[in-house]
Amino acid sequence: MQLSNVSNVLEVIGVEKRYPGVVANRDVSIQIQAGTIHAIIGENGAGKSTLMKTLYGLIKPDAGQIRIFGKEVNLKSPQDAIELGVGMVHQHFKLADNATVLENVILGSEPTRFGFVVKYDEAREKLIEIAQNYGLDINPDEKLSNLGVGERQRVEIAKVLFRGAKILILDEPTAVLVPQEVDELFANLRELVKKGLTVLFISHKLDEVLSIADDITIMRQGTTVATRKPENTNKKELAELMVGGELPKPKAGELKISPESFLKIESASYFRADGRQILDDVNLELHGGEILGLAGVEGNGQSELIELIMGLIKPASGSVEVLGLDAANTLTREIRNAGVAYIPQDRQRDGLLMTAPLWENRILGHQFAEPMAKSIWVNKSAAIQDSKRVVDEFDVRTPGINVLASALSGGNQQKFIVGRELTGDPKLIVAAQPTRGVDVGAQAIIWEHLMQARSRGAGILLISADLEELFSLSDRIAVIYSGKIVSILNPAKTTPEDLGLAMTGAKSA
Amino acid sequence: MSTNIAKTNSNARTKAKSFFKSPARITLLIAGLFLIISLVESITGAVDITAPGTSGATLRFAIPLLMAGLGGLWAERAGVINIGLEGMMIVGTWTAAWFGFLHGPVVGILAAAVFGLASGFFHAFLTVKIGIDQAVSGLSINLIAAGAARYLSGIFFPPVGGDRTVSPPVETLPTFTIPLVADFFKSIDEKDIFFISNVSGLIYGITRDLSVVTVGLLLLVPITSWILWRSKFGLRMRFSGENPMAAESLGINVYRTRYIAISVSGMLASLGGAYLALVASSVYREGQTAGRGFIGLATVIFGNWKPSGVFAGSILFGFTDALRVRQADSVMALIMGAGIVALLLSIFYTSSRRWKPAGSYFAIGLVALWINQRVETIPQEFITVFPNVATLLVLTFLAQRLTPPAMAGMPYKRGSE
Repeated sequence: MQLSNVSNVLEVIGVEKRYPGVVANRDVSIQIQAGTIHAIIGENGAGKSTLMKTLYGLIKPDAGQIRIFGKEVNLKSPQDAIELGVGMVHQHFKLADNATVLENVILGSEPTRFGFVVKYDEAREKLIEIAQNYGLDINPDEKLSNLGVGERQRVEIAKVLFRGAKILILDEPTAVLVPQEVDELFANLRELVKKGLTVLFISHKLDEVLSIADDITIMRQGTTVATRKPENTNKKELAELMVGGELPKPKAGELKISPESFLKIESASYFRADGRQILDDVNLELHGGEILGLAGVEGNGQSELIELIMGLIKPASGSVEVLGLDAANTLTREIRNAGVAYIPQDRQRDGLLMTAPLWENRILGHQFAEPMAKSIWVNKSAAIQDSKRVVDEFDVRTPGINVLASALSGGNQQKFIVGRELTGDPKLIVAAQPTRGVDVGAQAIIWEHLMQARSRGAGILLISADLEELFSLSDRIAVIYSGKIVSILNPAKTTPEDLGLAMTGAKSA
Repeated sequence: MSTNIAKTNSNARTKAKSFFKSPARITLLIAGLFLIISLVESITGAVDITAPGTSGATLRFAIPLLMAGLGGLWAERAGVINIGLEGMMIVGTWTAAWFGFLHGPVVGILAAAVFGLASGFFHAFLTVKIGIDQAVSGLSINLIAAGAARYLSGIFFPPVGGDRTVSPPVETLPTFTIPLVADFFKSIDEKDIFFISNVSGLIYGITRDLSVVTVGLLLLVPITSWILWRSKFGLRMRFSGENPMAAESLGINVYRTRYIAISVSGMLASLGGAYLALVASSVYREGQTAGRGFIGLATVIFGNWKPSGVFAGSILFGFTDALRVRQADSVMALIMGAGIVALLLSIFYTSSRRWKPAGSYFAIGLVALWINQRVETIPQEFITVFPNVATLLVLTFLAQRLTPPAMAGMPYKRGSE
């Protein structure tokens, strides 16, 4: 099938990117042949996005070489990349609703007369020609606000084709699509490579990658570990390569599970406003004294599950019982007052007031109960005192408790939130990505406090994308995929490979 | 599947659009409206509604609102709300009067344009570069402009024959009457034929004693439309207001685009002020702008962020202003007209079996006619507040159909996601 002398349109040789304290990419090498769909897979944080941004000129690598069409290049901005024929289809669309498809496509590279009159007719013809040539079903004069997600993605693809891209980078293009739209997208992509374009496809869904890619490169911990052809590999091998075999053994701790159930979710389903099903018949039970890990690739319904538990949204069917309360019909405040602690996954959006001092942030979520409140007044001295305690106990590195939350580094913000939430011996702790983006030292502190809470008898729901974290802490690991709990595993008897397979939907128990 | 639904939707939309785009139908609609007004006029005897003087006055009252509205439109299309329009108009009235007094009205208008541009640039600097809240920046411009105008008036005007709040009179600008056309319609207006004379009176009113400035400023409506929908800058300006992140990702300098658009916004508002000082009157007077900058902002919403809509809004608000000044009785007649229109709409909706709008319009019509029969005189205050009420009504009833620029009023920093 493959010609022997196919040229590499894109070569990445030994690329490295370091951030203070983190190596995002090291020794990344990929060879991509013309007219192929090349998939790059890896877990969250494996360095895929950093690599893509490097290829698109958004990030400058610290070392290594990038060759496009055989020539070594030095990309300074996305404009450089576009000029060399590299186009990026972002995961989050960059489109304006209140404008037409045509306007969205041509913006920034408008054909003009005298330099300022846009030749809309000419642009429209060119777009129609591109659409027909590559089999993209779009109407240039349609308002964007009338389009669905799949169509918007086609507009994004048309946008890069309009700029003459020969190499398309698609960043997790299927994350936002429903299955039929995925099929349409794949048909489009096949059409593109048939016409001689090259597609770089980033994903962590093994099924998709196996069905669409000509080559698959696997990334782990910032580096490329292997390249396979789909016909010579299988899901199991890919999952192993993605996860690696270097995970620590689960930590042995005495288990004192109380018979009392702190969280009971029974056949809960949830639909998004656009009708898409996010949660499908979820059943979970969590007792006091245990840590239940929830593993899954992000966007498989974890966020909605958390919101159900916190009473932020209501299930379409089924029930959610939190510490004996019906979460759907209880105020979030009452749920919290009953003894639920919540460590949100987006700490800056949901966990802190970035422009308020630490001691005010300490009050958040406890503003109605002693000691943070005294009748209708906030108890400032108690808040200040307790903020100091949190700072000491959780080793929050801060010049003081009067500084704004935004002045702290991410890891220290997280330690402060964990400290705040673990105050007052909560019975149920919902911890979403509690150690994301924090350094190893902070991670150890947070883990230790979570384990202490467990031995005090608290029930902990640990939502994490970090397999190491899940294996180290969890007593049981539930795996969520496409809104379903596909299996519940015992970490002592499970290999990371099995977990990886379950997370990517390759195997369900 | 979803594609089909979207297509049908868009077909319906294009149909609705093409209905209002067909010139023949628009003419018919306007003619129908005039028929009703003529009818009302002959019933109530409020002859002032279509008197030539009214249409002329409407134009004079509408132009300052139009300029403020276009100013607001330029700023908001680029993504920045300009609350400072009122202050920028004050800049225009003062500089036009002072430089007009010193060097003649043409220089006065040019000076207003330059100082307006500068005031817009100041707003852009505060909001785009420094990132001050857009409302705060606009309000501060209003306060600074009002204070500075009062202070400078006290220093400059008394020595040259004005007083502390009024400038010395400025030479007026030339006016002209369109030959033949104006005479022709004047002759018909005088014949007093039902409907035809009414229309002719209106045309006569806006073709005689036209100021060159009026014509020039009116041209800014099609020019703005052309820039927004035909030019490269317009496309980039709209995206700066709709999705600056997308624009930035395609290599567009959102900051520069906003600087230009907001400066133009200030210039337009200031020209509106210059019109007040040099065309609608011939002096600067303290408080001359009288909140027109804010009404201008209202026309932007009323006009759904489109130049033609802003024009329609300023004509409507200018019309109510003109009637208030000329003959308050006419307002009563207008209410009757509105009542008749509402009843007709109700019949229209009944025939297409859309009961909800039919019912609401029927109720509105009844209320209007009841007011017309029962209330003796409409209080002056009500007429003054009419533009605000009209904007509120538009916001209430048409809010879902309004399409404001998605990011207007939101702070934007380069490189944000």
